[in-house]
Amino acid sequence: MTQVELIALAYQFGLAVAFLILSAAGLAVIFGMMGIVNMAHGELIMIGAYGTSIANRHGLPLVLAALCGVLASTATGVLLERTVIRRFYDRPSESLVMTWAIGLFISQAALIVFGPSLPSISSPLGSVAFGGFSLSIYGLLLIAFGLAVPVAIYLLLSTTTFGLHARATMQNVEVARAIGINSGSVYSATFALGAGLAGLAGALYAPTMSAVPNMGGSFIVQAFVTVVTGGGNLVYGTLPAAAGLGLVQTALTAVFGNLVGVLGLLAAVIVSAKLFPNGLAHRLSGKRFS
Amino acid sequence: MRSVLRLLEGDQTIGRGLPFWGLMSLLFAGALAFGVTAGSFAVENCSYFLVWVFMALGLAFMWGLGGTMSFGQTAFFGIGGYCYAILSTNWGVESGLTMAAALLSLAAVALSAAVLGYFVFFGGINGVLVSITTLAVTLGLETFLSQTAGPKWAIGRAELGGFNGISSMPPLTVPWHGDNVEITGRSLYFGLIIFVAITYLALRILANSKVGDAMVAVRESPLRAEALGYDVKAILFVGFVVGSVLAGLSGLLYAGWGQYISPDTMGLSAAALPIIWVAVSGKDLTATMVGTVVLLGLSQALAIYGSQYALVSLALILVVSIMGCPKGVFETLLRRIDSIGGPGDQNSKPVRKSSLDRSEVLL
Amino acid sequence: MKYLRATAVCSALLVGFPLLAAAESPIKIGLLEDQTGILAQGGLPKVHGAELAVAEINAAGGVLGRPLELVVYDAQSDNQRYQEFARRLTQSDKVDVLMGGLTSASRVAVQPIAERTKTLYFYNNEYEGGTCDSNMAITGVVPEQYLALIPWMLKNVGKKVYIIAADYNFGQILGLWVRKLVKENGGTLVGEEYIPLSVSQFGQTISNIQAAKPDFVFTAMVGSNQVAYFQQASAAGLKIPMASPINGTLLYEHKQLPRPVMANMYLGVNYMEELKTDENKGFVERWRAKYPNEPYINQPGEDSYVGVKLYAEAVRAAGSAERTAVIKAIETKDICTESPEGKICFDKSTHHVSHRIHIVKVEADHSVTTVQDLGIVQPSWLGTMGCDLTKKAESKQFTPEEPKH
Repeated sequence: MTQVELIALAYQFGLAVAFLILSAAGLAVIFGMMGIVNMAHGELIMIGAYGTSIANRHGLPLVLAALCGVLASTATGVLLERTVIRRFYDRPSESLVMTWAIGLFISQAALIVFGPSLPSISSPLGSVAFGGFSLSIYGLLLIAFGLAVPVAIYLLLSTTTFGLHARATMQNVEVARAIGINSGSVYSATFALGAGLAGLAGALYAPTMSAVPNMGGSFIVQAFVTVVTGGGNLVYGTLPAAAGLGLVQTALTAVFGNLVGVLGLLAAVIVSAKLFPNGLAHRLSGKRFS
Repeated sequence: MRSVLRLLEGDQTIGRGLPFWGLMSLLFAGALAFGVTAGSFAVENCSYFLVWVFMALGLAFMWGLGGTMSFGQTAFFGIGGYCYAILSTNWGVESGLTMAAALLSLAAVALSAAVLGYFVFFGGINGVLVSITTLAVTLGLETFLSQTAGPKWAIGRAELGGFNGISSMPPLTVPWHGDNVEITGRSLYFGLIIFVAITYLALRILANSKVGDAMVAVRESPLRAEALGYDVKAILFVGFVVGSVLAGLSGLLYAGWGQYISPDTMGLSAAALPIIWVAVSGKDLTATMVGTVVLLGLSQALAIYGSQYALVSLALILVVSIMGCPKGVFETLLRRIDSIGGPGDQNSKPVRKSSLDRSEVLL
Repeated sequence: MKYLRATAVCSALLVGFPLLAAAESPIKIGLLEDQTGILAQGGLPKVHGAELAVAEINAAGGVLGRPLELVVYDAQSDNQRYQEFARRLTQSDKVDVLMGGLTSASRVAVQPIAERTKTLYFYNNEYEGGTCDSNMAITGVVPEQYLALIPWMLKNVGKKVYIIAADYNFGQILGLWVRKLVKENGGTLVGEEYIPLSVSQFGQTISNIQAAKPDFVFTAMVGSNQVAYFQQASAAGLKIPMASPINGTLLYEHKQLPRPVMANMYLGVNYMEELKTDENKGFVERWRAKYPNEPYINQPGEDSYVGVKLYAEAVRAAGSAERTAVIKAIETKDICTESPEGKICFDKSTHHVSHRIHIVKVEADHSVTTVQDLGIVQPSWLGTMGCDLTKKAESKQFTPEEPKH
């Protein structure tokens, strides 16, 4: 393998891992904190992308438009948490069905309001050529975000008061309440954070995909498997899980093609469930967050 | 016999006494009367709803009692449907061979459920990882089958057909005086009604037997159950296989009903549906049986009369009903009925805590 | 849907066809299309196309003095719904003909029900070809028609071809066709990839193409996930010409995606809204008058319109809407209709339809220019495989053979 091919492959690996991390981040935060599997995660991603696309079409530059997308999904998250989700803490299976129904509602409402698709936005930054290959520079930005998001969440959880309260609530909600932490507002803030991260994924990928009501579907399977394989912790769970799954997928896709890549990812999930029945985070962090 | 029949009522099922069984008999008689009096289309359409009930009952059994939330129901539905399609296409309808195809399909489903169940439960996978493992298997199967187009993917005379699936296999038949009578239309409907009733009663007996008690013990606390001497893995395994075989039964009946089976019966959106039916109805067997038919009817009616608002309305109805009855609409309703009419056995407060333990999910 | 039925009848009455016709019972067309769910973008125009055709036919006095009536159900992009509603249409609504279905899977779901209930089924859609079925009429284009594009590309653009296609029936079978055509026309295949429908990230595929350096890429990408390929390829600086029978006609990528993502795409089409023929000009005007908010008149929309027109001609020729009479008419008489493509006709022996094929190019500003008009192309392949429904009634599916290595 030449150096050029190696770089191209490394870039593919980076893209695959970034996609898994960014798809999964919002889901991981909510799952890790509250044990809720948010089935409307894909629709929150779609709201992020729609917000970005619509704002961009109304003349906002891409960076500000992306911010609008993130705000839109965060606001939706807050609204959902206030009205519905907060009644379903400690009820993982009911919340799963509830969020599934909410997801269905959001995607079908988007179809009615915005029609079957929105015009896509163009990918900024152009491409860079080297040795017969050329890569999208925007892809490099996605990789950077893929690494920055877990780091930022880690810092948020380890250095701020919110982080302290959040970790306490995560470990033992009764004790946290007893020492005066308002677990309700911690949950609300976490859900909003998770929704915002979902919106961020949508905003970041909006220029690389077509904006359709069901676009969340392209993220959701990868997000689920990454989060559950990793366990509910971004740094100790999602990050290594994404790296592992991304490596398997990239290698298999490069050698055997896309079908084996997809099947291999699913097989890796099963193998990982067998090897780490309590999730990667549990293994890597020595039960720190779970 | 008596001791078995006594298990029709018990801690793990809702409904006891004359009022409840009176109501159920009425329901059964009503269903039979409908089959006699309604138009042929209405009857066939109802057959379609009944086809799915087995899969839902299977999930209610493994999830409601044992706490195993499997996304694999549609995988076994697909295996059942595909096996029936392949076998019956190859064998044809002569001398009751479709029945043999159906039975062999069920055996294939049982075998594959046993393999997966063994891997999952004896491999130490638990909690939400069971759900994700079964989901991965389901999606893997769907992805694989979708690309099996063309003559190179054929088993005997049956081409797998890729994304288009297999069609035009024979419906179920029974040999009758040297002829083969198709079980379609009304005969299929009556067959299904009786089969649903038998399955329902059998599951009730199983739920109230030692097996059911053990499953609930495991659901409430695997650790405690183990300390009490239960073989936790074996119990979860049994529940999983029973539930999965019922999903396979739905699959082969579906294939026989419409002479069609395709990979998208296993996709992500299809895989979520049984879970929705069971959760919205309530994880009790009676609630699931009634609720599944009602929900299927409702979503079809919305698709017919709701135009573009069909799916939005369905979503809204689901949200409202879970808000109103977190334990399931029909389970809540049944408990009402039970508390009015039952003979009030003091010791029989059902011990069901319907959600997974939070700690289990976090693990 | 009652509302739809009512409007269809009302609009028919309003335009005032002869009183005699009003007294006759309508000919019922049962239409099943995806109006919600993931295929809605492709399916919605099909309902409009059928409605437009019905309105025009009724305004001109109906068929055999009888008005046409559409009974429409939304299949919600769900094959099970196709089965439920095909039964409803045939057994409860008792329609004279079934129409609809976007994917081949939906066609296969409806087929056995149409067969058992003895209802004629019109599948009005481009597809991968190969269905030889007495009980069906297939009015869309098939590979031997739209893939006239490949020899043209090999002659005019270059000899080295890379295939990327969705990993299911449509994509795989098109792959076989393209392989065969490339070999026969002196081209070389430098790579081929079949991609599962769930894949939405195409980095590896793009660098594979860059490494293989083809003269053009044949794309048969299907569904909203796979449309992302074009954006990602463009962002990665891939500027190789493309050829496709579908990426532009179904989900109108050149209208949806930012310029110049689809530049240098060559399409072999029977219909695009932009085609500048006289027949199409009037059609677009009538469509836009009835549906001013249509994002784009896609090819399935036109197919659906033409399907209804062809059915009306077949009934006229048969003198009856009864199934066997209509089938017999298709197999024995010359049944043609004026369409936005020009005059197109049924092929008696295979129940498929001739189409006028254009090769068009998407420019950098995403406008569409016609580079060649190939005229009417016959659906000839099934005949060479031995399908002759005039001689033998049957229901068979043919697939092209794998080329020997």
